[in-house]
Amino acid sequence: MSLLEARQVSVRFGGLVALRNIDMCQNANETLGMIGPNGSGKTTFVNVVTGHVKPASGAVDFDGVPLARCRPFEIAGAGLSRTYQAVRVFRELTGRENIATALVNAACPLDADAVVEATEWLRLTHRLDARAGSLTLYEQRRLELLMRLVQRPKLLMLDEPVGGLSSVEVRSMIAVLNELKARCTIFIIEHTMKVIRELADRVIVLLAGEKIADGPPGDILADRRVIENYLGSVDA
Amino acid sequence: MSDATLILLLSTVTTGVMLGVIFSLVAVGVTIIYGSIWMPNAANGQFFLLAALFAWSASVSWGVHPALAALLVIGASVPLSYALEIALIRRFYDVPNRNISYFVLSLGITQILSGIFSITYGVWSDQFRIPPIVPGVTLLGPLPIANNRLVAMAAAALLLALLFALLRFHRYGRALRAVFQNRESAALRGVDVRAVYRMSFILGNAVVFAGGVLFACAYSFDLTMGWTMAVTAFAIMIIGGPGSVLGALVVGMVFGFTQALVSIFASPTIAAFSYLGAMLVILLIRPSGLFAR
Amino acid sequence: MNAGIRWWLPYACFAIAALAVPLLLSGNRYFAFVAGMTLISVLWATGMNLLYGYTGLMPMVFAGIAGISAYLTVGLVAAGWSFWPAMLVGSVVAALVGTVLGLPSLRLRGFYFTLCSLVIQTVITLAFVYFVNLTNGDTGISQIAPPKLPGGEALGGLAYDVVLAVLAVIGVVVLAVLVDSSFGRRLIAIREDEGLAEALGIDVTRQKLAAFFISSLFAGVGGAFYAPYVGFISPRSFDVLVSLNIWLMVAFGGRGTIWGPVLGATLLAPVPFLLQDYYTIKDVVYGLLIIGVIVLLPAGLVGGLKHLRPRPAPAAAAKAEPAQ
Repeated sequence: MSLLEARQVSVRFGGLVALRNIDMCQNANETLGMIGPNGSGKTTFVNVVTGHVKPASGAVDFDGVPLARCRPFEIAGAGLSRTYQAVRVFRELTGRENIATALVNAACPLDADAVVEATEWLRLTHRLDARAGSLTLYEQRRLELLMRLVQRPKLLMLDEPVGGLSSVEVRSMIAVLNELKARCTIFIIEHTMKVIRELADRVIVLLAGEKIADGPPGDILADRRVIENYLGSVDA
Repeated sequence: MSDATLILLLSTVTTGVMLGVIFSLVAVGVTIIYGSIWMPNAANGQFFLLAALFAWSASVSWGVHPALAALLVIGASVPLSYALEIALIRRFYDVPNRNISYFVLSLGITQILSGIFSITYGVWSDQFRIPPIVPGVTLLGPLPIANNRLVAMAAAALLLALLFALLRFHRYGRALRAVFQNRESAALRGVDVRAVYRMSFILGNAVVFAGGVLFACAYSFDLTMGWTMAVTAFAIMIIGGPGSVLGALVVGMVFGFTQALVSIFASPTIAAFSYLGAMLVILLIRPSGLFAR
Repeated sequence: MNAGIRWWLPYACFAIAALAVPLLLSGNRYFAFVAGMTLISVLWATGMNLLYGYTGLMPMVFAGIAGISAYLTVGLVAAGWSFWPAMLVGSVVAALVGTVLGLPSLRLRGFYFTLCSLVIQTVITLAFVYFVNLTNGDTGISQIAPPKLPGGEALGGLAYDVVLAVLAVIGVVVLAVLVDSSFGRRLIAIREDEGLAEALGIDVTRQKLAAFFISSLFAGVGGAFYAPYVGFISPRSFDVLVSLNIWLMVAFGGRGTIWGPVLGATLLAPVPFLLQDYYTIKDVVYGLLIIGVIVLLPAGLVGGLKHLRPRPAPAAAAKAEPAQ
């Protein structure tokens, strides 16, 4: 049974079709990537899965449970977390308080030792008492990850996790994400192939709300339709 | 139709129109300010009252002719608004979520004005009445209407028409509508956004003052008018759609007629209940209002 | 509770001060009355702080709910109930009403929520005026008898002040316990970023409702004790200006802190009484303070002080860490 499964999901905003008949599935411990140009519907897809947007048609199942009538907090509580394209932490609270907030509603949180270990792994131990808003962007992105980690999610959807980072930080983040894969299943949205290529076992390509390709990175890079419509115009 | 029924009908219609144009004026003033600088001005009722009280002072205490008093008061609103804009309003233009700061700020202004009025005007008199602009009575069919009411009604309607023309045809009106829609793209098109903000604040308040003065020319009033007008104006703005001048006009007229009708059968409190109920319904079901873009 | 050294110290100090002040002032009935009113204001400000300071919602219905409790309690006592059960019933019923009234507006954010609660407050005040049979309308209800103690004696003067002091202390302690708990953590998350709180698994609606209910309890208990203390209630005692002024106490003192609203209430509640003949200037003073708080002191007095504490320089620390 797959961890995440979407069947014929369509989303309309007024007259605009944001997603059209999306089918996909992701198994546990399989890293899935989703790429596409800006506006192709990637974030909309995450919003549908996490319960923020109601699909016009189609269904999404998580761990065998249909998500149709679930509210976002219930979906998060079931083990499906997401991070945001524009990093989102409680800016006025300290790092420590951010993590405590993440722990307070987790169904099966990490125990105290594991939290300390994860904090050290993400190199945030000495930054816990600063106001989260004063952290650098890279530190905030790591804090965002830490807040999800301590909740022990089954699936973590990352929306453009390297956005805004310098090339040095991107390399560092890719290493972090590679290690993250061992801790929970991840789903990465990006708009460049570079990051996805190093991390994903399989890639879904979206274009104008439709899925045009689904396969291992090697196959995607060689797919003519993908090259014509997308890779040709973007530095991958 | 008997004479009595005809009189009742005509009376209700004229009262409805009279109240409607005043309500519309005030609501348009409030919505212009909200639509442009995102300031819900809870103090509009006290400004309305302030205008009426100043007009009373000018015409009763100083013996100025009411028409002149009206013009003076509306004119006085310009420097007052300007001063307020410089001192308090301007600093929030770039603050996100400023509408709630503005709202509470305007509640503070409301409390100050309300306090000042009760220790000044409140001590001098319970009811205030301005001498008529034009004495005498005209007959509309069997219904006698005071001339000053007719004049006030005509002036208010004229003002509304001028406002409409301003917003639709004049360069400022186009700039204002551009800012209503999206201030960034308006700025990109060369609109001086801050100047538009300033103008809107001054214009909006001037319109509210005009409403107050014209109401005072037509009816006698007391200090509670400030609160009732504030509630009514907000209800109209929310129901019509914040930022929608057309909404303010249409809903304002509806409110005017509703009030005229309801006062035949029931107390003003019931009318207030119904306004508040309607506002709540809109807030909860369709917060963008009936005429939202 | 905080693991700091003697965390109970501020609460003990407050308890002693709250009890001592009425004792010291018991010679002068007027000043003791001012102290009593201040204590009720502390209770109210603390209650509003839960919603405004810690959840981020500005509830303008607060005074209306206090009023519902007051009228209901007075009515039950007039019907023959003893004060104490009447107070409990009045407060709980008022809190339930407040929660129910708050339900539909929970989806609204920021200004719209405040506007909605302001409208509901106005409706409540109008209802107080309109249903003259129940409330005696604008004339109000006067000569409200003080509560009777189990022995049959009336709760008078100093004893009443002591009861109010105990209430205020309990209120502050309850808030402190709540804020330190996981409930408090959830509320703060909602205040800071509701969407993020939801994404972290927090049932925002349920937490808001709980906060509403508890905050309304504070309002209701205060209202029930206010009525016999002052001896007179009218719709004006619980109108929108009262809500606004309690808000001012919270905002001025420092919302989102335990002691800010206590300080705010202590400084502002005596103002109308100390102005004596110039009582009517109170509106101008409060109005100016509201503007002052919005423009100059958004974090209030206590909040402003917190910013003066030295913080570790973030930029320097970040540069020190080698980027790998």
